[in-house]
Amino acid sequence: MNKSHRGSVKLEDCEIIAHKKYEADQFVLTLASDYISNNTKPGQFVHATVSEKLLMRRPISIMSVNSKENTFDLLYKVVGDGTRELSKRKVGEQISVMGPIGNGFNFDSVKRPIMIGGGVGIPPMVALAQQLNLKTQKPLAIFGSEVEFPFEMEITDKSYPFIENPATMSLLHEWGIDCLLTSNSDFQGVYKGYVTDLARDFFNTLSAEELKEVKIFACGPDMMLKAVKTLASQLNVECELSLEEFMACAIGGCAGCVVEVETETGKSMKRVCVDGPIFDANSIFQ
Amino acid sequence: MNSNLKVNYCGIELNSPIVLLSGCVGFGEEYTRIDGFSNSDVGAVCLKGTTNEPRLGNQPHRIYETPDGMINAIGLQNPGSDFVINDILPTLDKTETKFIINISGSTIEEYGELAKKFDQTDIDAIEINISCPNVKEGGVAFGNDPDMSYRVVEICRQNTTKPLITKLSPNQTDIAYSAQRCIDAGSDGLAVINTLMGMAIDIDSRKPFIGNNQGGLSGPAIKPIALLKTHQVYQVSKKYNVPIIGQGGINSAEDAIEFIIAGATTVGVGTALFYDPLICHKINDGISDYLLRNNIKNISELVGSLQLNDFSSPCDS
Repeated sequence: MNKSHRGSVKLEDCEIIAHKKYEADQFVLTLASDYISNNTKPGQFVHATVSEKLLMRRPISIMSVNSKENTFDLLYKVVGDGTRELSKRKVGEQISVMGPIGNGFNFDSVKRPIMIGGGVGIPPMVALAQQLNLKTQKPLAIFGSEVEFPFEMEITDKSYPFIENPATMSLLHEWGIDCLLTSNSDFQGVYKGYVTDLARDFFNTLSAEELKEVKIFACGPDMMLKAVKTLASQLNVECELSLEEFMACAIGGCAGCVVEVETETGKSMKRVCVDGPIFDANSIFQ
Repeated sequence: MNSNLKVNYCGIELNSPIVLLSGCVGFGEEYTRIDGFSNSDVGAVCLKGTTNEPRLGNQPHRIYETPDGMINAIGLQNPGSDFVINDILPTLDKTETKFIINISGSTIEEYGELAKKFDQTDIDAIEINISCPNVKEGGVAFGNDPDMSYRVVEICRQNTTKPLITKLSPNQTDIAYSAQRCIDAGSDGLAVINTLMGMAIDIDSRKPFIGNNQGGLSGPAIKPIALLKTHQVYQVSKKYNVPIIGQGGINSAEDAIEFIIAGATTVGVGTALFYDPLICHKINDGISDYLLRNNIKNISELVGSLQLNDFSSPCDS
């Protein structure tokens, strides 16, 4: 009787260490937790109580961890009652958090991880970037947003055939990871187009040998994920997608958060919370 | 566990009156992922609704939050009875708690087959789900017709000697009559209530939020209804010593005690786990404290102890 899964998820009250507002109702919430900051795999999420006014918890992706300070960051955008209530929470208050939950990305042996994040799909990509080994991996992050980016940016002196002096996310720059930004709005140093347009331009700069080393990781709106899946399929590269869905228990008990998945034995409904949230692109959006 | 929480339900000795409800805790292991959660803190775990053949369930979205509750329409997703019997039941730790299988059929015969199959297993009891609001065939269609309910329970009774619990639908006119028919057909226990049918609409798209269009409403929002239904069913079930699992929006020890006073022998906890996964400790402790405070030796003394108001003359207005 294998019971190794038992006790892997902690339920704790986490103090709000920082709660920073960005443009377009986007927020970065920093919470204190020894356990989550030291036991999270990229792609995992927490299930948080946002307010006493709302019963149900909200699943939110972990964006980054700080194992020295024992904190972790969440990025969210106000889109409904839950995130609106969460945005009112103040530094010093406690939030009930359950986590870390989910399977996480398979990225260890990937030589060229390409991380594509759209809007509030950016956080799992940042989490992945944080855990890469730059001695053996040559990553690139591509982040898209139709509103101002929810993080500090800076202009680099890099040059690509499709963009000169691109803007980048300062945090990833600090970590030594190349990051390009894209939007259909006009922002300085930001490529104009969809994430897949930028990704396609980038892949055109790679040799056939280099392309074989690529694996795409993506998180964002379904429309974007479907376009990324198509691109990966056209290029014949591996691709993992991070999904989101309304969740009740977030621990596999209620089967409320499923996605239709193709398996060797046929169609199956998998739980986004514990079977995911990361799925092989070939198995979904059929 | 405090000994005053021990309770006998349909001949099964439970360490606590708490029953984790079908559909909320998968097949018994899922919540143990959470540090501090243990099946040994509850009297019984009722496993996910199981049909003869595997079911994929409904298309997403399957859940939506509503004021003080939520709507769900899972659609009985399950791997089928053979998989449950061969691959899941053997992995359960029977020393921790008692396990109840919840069965659902699209025909009366299917209920009979399921009862027969699970009769051959070491499951502690069988719950007959005649009240699932989220499937097109069977489910609540049986539960809203007392004569059909009778026939479902009757065929299960013919096929098992295990304790049979019938989960009643609140989406019917006279739940007490339905309870009577289920008892007549041989039900050993009753579960009161399943979810209430509800809907939530996205006013931008003018579509229901739930893929199945409608679903079952649960959570504290339905507690007063569940409590009244428990009281109504108890008026019938007490004559036959048929115990009730009282359920619907239980959120605290006080809620659980209300259900017990109304006539429940055990109390079901479901939706509350979603927002407070470690709530069972609090409910156990709260009930135990209440019993001590009121000098009640065992929970059974509290069952159905409701003192109704009885004013012989109407108030002057």
